[in-house]
Amino acid sequence: MFELFTNMVKEEWRVHSTMFGSLSFALFPVMIFGIAFMGSFLIPLMQTTLPAGNLTLIVHASYLMLGIMVGGFGLLGNEVMNRRFGQASLLAYSARSLPLSEKFIFSNFVVKDTVYYFFLWVLPFGFGYILASPFIGVPLADALLLLLTLTLSFLFGLCSVFFLSAVYARSRLVLWLVLMAIVMGVGILAAMTGTNPVLFFPPLLLYSAFTWTNFLFSCALLVVLFGVAIVLFNPESVGSEKMYKDSFAPLTRQFSFLPNPPLAAKDSLDLYRSGSLVGQTIFSFLLPLAVIWFFLSLLGPFFPPHGLLFVVAVTTGVIASTMYTWVTMFDTFGPYACLPVAVSTLIASKLTTFAILQVIPAVFIAAVALLSGEAAYLIPAVVLGISVSFYAVGVMAWLCGLSPNVLVYDVKVLFVYLVLVGIVLAIFTTAAFANPYFALFAVILFIPTWLLVRKAKVRWDAVDPAGF
Amino acid sequence: MTIVLEAKNLMKRYGDVVAVDNVSLAVEKGALFGLLGPNGSGKTTMIKMLTGQTRPTSGSATVLGIDVIKDPVDVRGQVGIIPEQETPPSFLTAMEYLEFVAAVRKIPGIETKADWWFDFLDFADKKNVLCKDLSRGTRQKLMFTQAFIHEPALALIDEPLINFDPIMQDVVKDYLAEYVKKGKTIFISTHILEVAEEICSGFAILHKGRLLHTSPVAELTARGEHLPSFFLSLVRKDRHV
Repeated sequence: MFELFTNMVKEEWRVHSTMFGSLSFALFPVMIFGIAFMGSFLIPLMQTTLPAGNLTLIVHASYLMLGIMVGGFGLLGNEVMNRRFGQASLLAYSARSLPLSEKFIFSNFVVKDTVYYFFLWVLPFGFGYILASPFIGVPLADALLLLLTLTLSFLFGLCSVFFLSAVYARSRLVLWLVLMAIVMGVGILAAMTGTNPVLFFPPLLLYSAFTWTNFLFSCALLVVLFGVAIVLFNPESVGSEKMYKDSFAPLTRQFSFLPNPPLAAKDSLDLYRSGSLVGQTIFSFLLPLAVIWFFLSLLGPFFPPHGLLFVVAVTTGVIASTMYTWVTMFDTFGPYACLPVAVSTLIASKLTTFAILQVIPAVFIAAVALLSGEAAYLIPAVVLGISVSFYAVGVMAWLCGLSPNVLVYDVKVLFVYLVLVGIVLAIFTTAAFANPYFALFAVILFIPTWLLVRKAKVRWDAVDPAGF
Repeated sequence: MTIVLEAKNLMKRYGDVVAVDNVSLAVEKGALFGLLGPNGSGKTTMIKMLTGQTRPTSGSATVLGIDVIKDPVDVRGQVGIIPEQETPPSFLTAMEYLEFVAAVRKIPGIETKADWWFDFLDFADKKNVLCKDLSRGTRQKLMFTQAFIHEPALALIDEPLINFDPIMQDVVKDYLAEYVKKGKTIFISTHILEVAEEICSGFAILHKGRLLHTSPVAELTARGEHLPSFFLSLVRKDRHV
């Protein structure tokens, strides 16, 4: 049954490449390779201010987060098949026409995601570092070990989310119990050993001192997480019918103050009924940000005073901007094509829903400010984070219209996105480092945001809707 | 005679493939006009162009006097459309979808109208079921309803009968025949030739994106010919060209 796997890989490739051509997509890993290769030459410079161990921590945390986000994007329990492929996929639905079980197909789906994103993200990064290693005085064995441990970090992120989302699909109560058990376990470990629990993260342990026992332990842990998740995986039966009392009309009335109440009501029902509002908030937002905050807190001494809060705020802003993908992933332009709705109207409506969702990052940044004893800078941090989020979503809407999930893998789109967002991040993070209250100036980002959204509407109205 | 739909030299290319090749046709008010053709002949692309769902590569078209290239959203506001694939939004119920359509189209009194359609097409028991959980036939009923619930002057419907059982096909055929008697117009794409012969007043045959023939059905029957055999001989002949 290797055919199923290879065809799923082809399918994934075509989903991405049909939107912008195979060449642009093929260049994506080349760009990651280039960034890693050139970035490696900065390591000797960075090591003068940042110890090597902390750099290792950042890179592993990034790959753990990447795994969490890839997993969180698609692997959300019962809705996963519909969510990921919708009616367009033949392979994800092949249990209906071929003698293959849902679990077998789902296992292939997970392995495919692992292999696919390994070649898309992990390998190009590791390869860039390996090629640069002779020039920066890093032994080849260390570079190869880093590739291995980064792969494991990515897989830990992916399979943890896969495991948690499979638990979530079975029982939300059990999910909370599992999460509490993990937090308590980490706390007890830290208390008993007096060591930062992050250092017990298996890939980091392995990188600091490679032993076969640690390696096998990491692999076994991954296999257990994957195995349990696949056993727990419980797809909805094809014939089941979910019934709901009419919520659309009351919601439309409640949203009457918004520009497009019916579209906002539809988006809200999509988010709620698909489980996305809770699922995505946990797996694509809170979990990655908690991990980032946790890892960044270890670098506190290397930031200027109050700097950590603003780094968390800016990072939260960038991740919060991906909430736009939550509301655009449900439907293509197709369901609207028989209605008098323009693409620009849809973009505006999705951005309105996005704006409502920004309460979540605002509360998160406020919580970080309060928990870290920086209440005095709560407002500048929230303003910075939310302004960055709106600006980044403006760039995203302009570059990707209603298809950010797919177009982000177009190397040209990603490059422009990174440049436009990166410059702004650098300016405002530096400003906040200089004086925390300078972060308030980030509100001026709403001006380019407004211009970008205007341009996005004109640009995507001019594109043939059949292309969506 | 009032022309409600007119296409002039419409062409659509997808890369090297010409899906519709210089097609010109006109449909009069009150007609039930059938667009016929084998799979891949360009029927769906034609309907998509006429409803502003995709832009023509060249040529022009007006629908109810509105330019489909300049004002595609206005066209979709005036007409009723059943797309090729039944695609109501996954996480709305059937009733909520109709409320959504009514809100977007600004149709008053949707509850009464929706209930009439639920009864008429016999799917009242599914009104609170999520669209993603509906069967194909029920989704087709829902899409049929959304296309006609605002009683448009012109409906462009792509294979509206394909997922219906014979009883429902009969109900829908009768509805379409009655609808045009009220002075409304229907532009239907189908490859069920017997149905087209039974209910259509005029027809056009597309093959490989080209218009092979257009005429009133009565003209054909006056010559003692039947639409299915005429269609088959014309398309077969064109295959060898």
